[in-house]
Amino acid sequence: QASPSAPTPQSKNAILVSHRQKGNPLLKHIRNARWTFADVVPDYVLGQSSCALYLSIRYHLLHPDYLYYRIRELQKNFRLRIILCHIDVEDVVKPLHEITRTALLHDCTLLCGWSLEECGRYLETIKVYENKPADSIREHMDNDYLSRLTRALTSVRHVNKTDVVTLGTSFGSLSQIMNASMEELARCPGIGERKVKRLHDTFHEPFKRVS
Amino acid sequence: MVGAAAMLAFEEQVVADLVEDPNGGLVVLSSGLPLASLAAALLLHLQQSPGDAPPGGGGGGGGGCLLVLSAPDPLKSRICRLLQDKLQVHDVAPDLPAQQRASLYAPGAALFLSPRALAADLLTSRLLPSRVRALLLLSAHRSSDTSSDAFIARLLRQHHLLPVYAFSDRPHAMVSGFSKAERAMKSLYVRRLHLWPRFHVLAAADLERSPPDVVDVRVPMTPPMRGIQAAVLAAMDACLKELRRTNKVDVEDLTVDKGLFKSFDEIVRRQLDPIWHTLGKKTKQLVADLRTLRKLLDYLVRYDAVTYLKYLDTLRVSEGVRSVWILADSSHKIFELAKWRVYQAVRADDVNASTDNRMGASAKKRKVTHDSTEKGKETENKDSTVHRDNTMKVSGDVGIILEEVLEEAPKWKVLQELLQEIAEEQIARDAENVQDGDKSDESGIVLVTCKDERTCLQLQECISKGPRQVMQEEWKKYLIGKAELQRLNKKNKRKSEQPKGFGVLDGEVQMAPSESAVPVSISKLETNALLAAASELRNITNESDVNDDSNVSCSKKGLVEKAKGKSKKTTVKRQCNNRKNKSKGGNDNGQTTILEGEGQSGKTNEQAETDASKASTYDAFVSDSTTGDTCNYSSAFGDLANGKPLPPVQFHALDSDQHVLDVWKPSVIIVYHPDVTFVREIEVYKAENPSRNLKVYFLFYEDSTEVQKFESSIRRENEAFESLIRQKSLMMIPVDQDGRCIGPTVANEPEPLLCQNSITRKAGGKKAPEKEMQVIVDMREFMSSLPNVLHQKGIRIVPVTLEVGDYVLSPLICVERKSIADLFQSFASGRLYNQVETMARYYKIPVLLIEFSQDKSFSFQSASEIGDDVSPTNIISKLSLLVLHFPRLRMVWSRSLHATAEIFISLKTNQDEPDEKKATRVGVPSEDGIVEDDMRAENYNTSAIEFLRRLPGVTDSNYRAIMDECNSLAELALLPVERLAELMGGQRGARMLKEFLDAKCPTML
Repeated sequence: QASPSAPTPQSKNAILVSHRQKGNPLLKHIRNARWTFADVVPDYVLGQSSCALYLSIRYHLLHPDYLYYRIRELQKNFRLRIILCHIDVEDVVKPLHEITRTALLHDCTLLCGWSLEECGRYLETIKVYENKPADSIREHMDNDYLSRLTRALTSVRHVNKTDVVTLGTSFGSLSQIMNASMEELARCPGIGERKVKRLHDTFHEPFKRVS
Repeated sequence: MVGAAAMLAFEEQVVADLVEDPNGGLVVLSSGLPLASLAAALLLHLQQSPGDAPPGGGGGGGGGCLLVLSAPDPLKSRICRLLQDKLQVHDVAPDLPAQQRASLYAPGAALFLSPRALAADLLTSRLLPSRVRALLLLSAHRSSDTSSDAFIARLLRQHHLLPVYAFSDRPHAMVSGFSKAERAMKSLYVRRLHLWPRFHVLAAADLERSPPDVVDVRVPMTPPMRGIQAAVLAAMDACLKELRRTNKVDVEDLTVDKGLFKSFDEIVRRQLDPIWHTLGKKTKQLVADLRTLRKLLDYLVRYDAVTYLKYLDTLRVSEGVRSVWILADSSHKIFELAKWRVYQAVRADDVNASTDNRMGASAKKRKVTHDSTEKGKETENKDSTVHRDNTMKVSGDVGIILEEVLEEAPKWKVLQELLQEIAEEQIARDAENVQDGDKSDESGIVLVTCKDERTCLQLQECISKGPRQVMQEEWKKYLIGKAELQRLNKKNKRKSEQPKGFGVLDGEVQMAPSESAVPVSISKLETNALLAAASELRNITNESDVNDDSNVSCSKKGLVEKAKGKSKKTTVKRQCNNRKNKSKGGNDNGQTTILEGEGQSGKTNEQAETDASKASTYDAFVSDSTTGDTCNYSSAFGDLANGKPLPPVQFHALDSDQHVLDVWKPSVIIVYHPDVTFVREIEVYKAENPSRNLKVYFLFYEDSTEVQKFESSIRRENEAFESLIRQKSLMMIPVDQDGRCIGPTVANEPEPLLCQNSITRKAGGKKAPEKEMQVIVDMREFMSSLPNVLHQKGIRIVPVTLEVGDYVLSPLICVERKSIADLFQSFASGRLYNQVETMARYYKIPVLLIEFSQDKSFSFQSASEIGDDVSPTNIISKLSLLVLHFPRLRMVWSRSLHATAEIFISLKTNQDEPDEKKATRVGVPSEDGIVEDDMRAENYNTSAIEFLRRLPGVTDSNYRAIMDECNSLAELALLPVERLAELMGGQRGARMLKEFLDAKCPTML
């Protein structure tokens, strides 16, 4: 029996699919990563330490205990244990509640997909991103000036991108925007009373209201 | 002295009807009817009759405090003014420390409160429901069963029967959505609905007894304005057609007529919201485009030609290629015509190069060299010659000259004429009065009301300097702006090789690429001509700067300084200074003395310059009677513009939402931008002062959307009331019979009902544990409805300020809640990563809750939108990456608020209760020590902090130090780089920040 800790060389870069999943139409939608059947405990082995169980809510409604037994089989071999829940019924609240609870109590991460395509894409992505750094979801700075300016100014509620350009061109630089009077702000086209007040308060009210 | 006016008969009736029912009631008024005086009267009534405290009140019969919830600032100040000597209403600022707040809850006191603060106080028992006499809600259209209003009503009503009086003056908001009024009433536990439309017999009788004289002035628009309006409407129509073609929306509601209103967005959004995140980019863009187009229509009648063009330029940059409408034929027309209203590009041989001569008849042409010195002309010619050499291959041997058109807004002229007419009348009448020896109480003040402050300022300048001058100045600003940008582009990209005077032209070469990306491009030639004009202007300004001290050069100087960044006040304009007091005085609850004091100190500067003593008394008037938030402009009068006398004129911006009629007591009102609400206010004012003469002029642009909008807003309100009347006739029966609506005898019913529910819902119907469940909730989460729903399920809510997470369910479980929009946004900003990271650091079971909205679809995207490849921007990829990096993160997918509450309850079973002391300490850097209670969020300018943290060079580790040492952002912007380096603990960050702050804004205009 092949164990995930000793994969064959050719299967190293592929998703290992349990024989149980034979006939799952989901497999059709895994196109961006190679996959191969293998004798593995979870439904899908997505990497050194991550695996996934596939569960359709319709199936869960018929066999409410299935998920629990499958999770128990997994033991502690994987750091990331995903339950990939295919939402294929209309009335989801109750079954989803049960699945959420089971997943949470047994250290599994629940992901929901609303179509086979979406479920397939989760599997692919987790495989493809196996060693990807988190840069794209971390705070990052677009280094061009306008987007940085936009980022800062749009933190003030109601201020939109057009306003940013307006403010920029009317005042010339951020420090001048920050020191503008209410009247000057109000003279910019498109900056109404409400935005003027919010901008002015943001810049002129002290950081700490009470010292 | 003000606000003493007697109440109208119908107002008394409203209050009398309302207090009849011990449960209170919901009053829906036409907008513009006197909500403030009703609330004030009700407060007085309640305070004076504490005796008939509700039976459930027990011993506390002395009457508890009166709570007024979610009143907008202008309304607060009006109420305060009306109650001036009779009843003190404390405005409890949201940032007031909890202890001080608690001391204000005295019997008989009246308080303005924010729902967040009140909810927290009720939950922590700082305020006991039995000590409350009544609850007033002044924007009931926001109430629903999950709103914070309803939460508070329930918290109060649970243990103690007290009346809830709800008001709304937005009838159309009360009918949006399915039986909204009825649901709002249920959630507030009131049984009676009182409808007071403007056409109510009593109201109409009162208001029409002595109506003001009304003169309706229709001003024709200029042909280009009409052209723009037609083009915008055509573009809107095209967008609507396109939107219909998506088959996602109900066609019937989508008419251009409805498209004129803000509520149009609501209609579209309500239809599209359930499927919003499944929509394609194009559909979303269409919705956004419609909004932009509506603004364009609005600004067409509000802004002058130059500003309008400037706004269009800005739009082109910020919207760019994304917009659908910008590519349409009609949008080309919009840009062309807008430009045409400002200037025309003419070939040197005097053949009109610009689009059309068709409309030439209406506008006067002027050469750009307004000083028309020979020298100036030569320079220009030389410029265009030089330019001709440069662009030989483009246009052969033709140069381009700018001809100013500078179309003035037609209303300006009409306004001036009106004012003169009024002045003449007044002089005539004064003469009579002198003869009679009878001094009437009329102020003679003319009040001009506009939509926004900007127009106020501009009109004021128009009157004092003449419209032409105003247009010239706008035009100069426009040109200087252009030149400034050009110079920047050039400086940034390469060093100048040419002598300075002509160097400006050079920038154009670099402009080309960005220009070509712009759909409707200004031709190169035109750009050059613009720049030439600008550079010339600069020369003139510089010269006159040195020599001259006249009015004109003064303002020019102001302009240049502005461009250079000195942002000094020019001495020419004098405006009411209360703005300055705003931040200080805003919370001052109308305490006249304090405010006046501050007012004085704030305005000494300008007051020194004020010579018209009469005008300055008006100033005092304003600061005396309002709480700082104002924008009334008094224009100095006397020998102005063309030497003719003008009456005393006051300007008022409707946006500021200030009640000015009682203050100024005008004898003439010119409604520059017609608005239904304000019309009603005039009616009420007139009805309250039947003896006073009042003449009202309405300025409409003929055949414009302005008229259309005004008329359909009245129609819309009437329709709303008709629908409410229908609803009322249907709803009373079930509400009365339904036991859910609690009468005096069943005061405590909802409580056991809720408990029962929550028991059966607790996993497997097991007996609920004896101890009450509790959840620690971050103060900021009180904006959402989840705390409310949790409380409905019988969970104790502990409001505190959390540094990490939003909800703490147990010592192990911490939840970060994200609505779908939040989720996308915080993925994009990287905030989510940080939040999960800290949660994972401090809690064993960090949970990310993804909460869908009940009335939106339960999915991220449709299968067809997923695409063929793994794309890093897709939500799937982001979630995958997140779970890969935080394998311990647990995900909860919730269908709705209610589902979330159920899940919380089930997660909490078999877990220990969370400890609030510990939870508040988590994640707070040690130097801050223990955080006091819920002080943090209240005592910080959160928006400024958010802004600060988004600045380059500012990091998690240094922003606190910056806040400690620096008072405000404005101050920060002025600190020298050395000081910044000290604060930020490093040269690099400091330099980065300083450079960013002072960087010249490059733009693609």
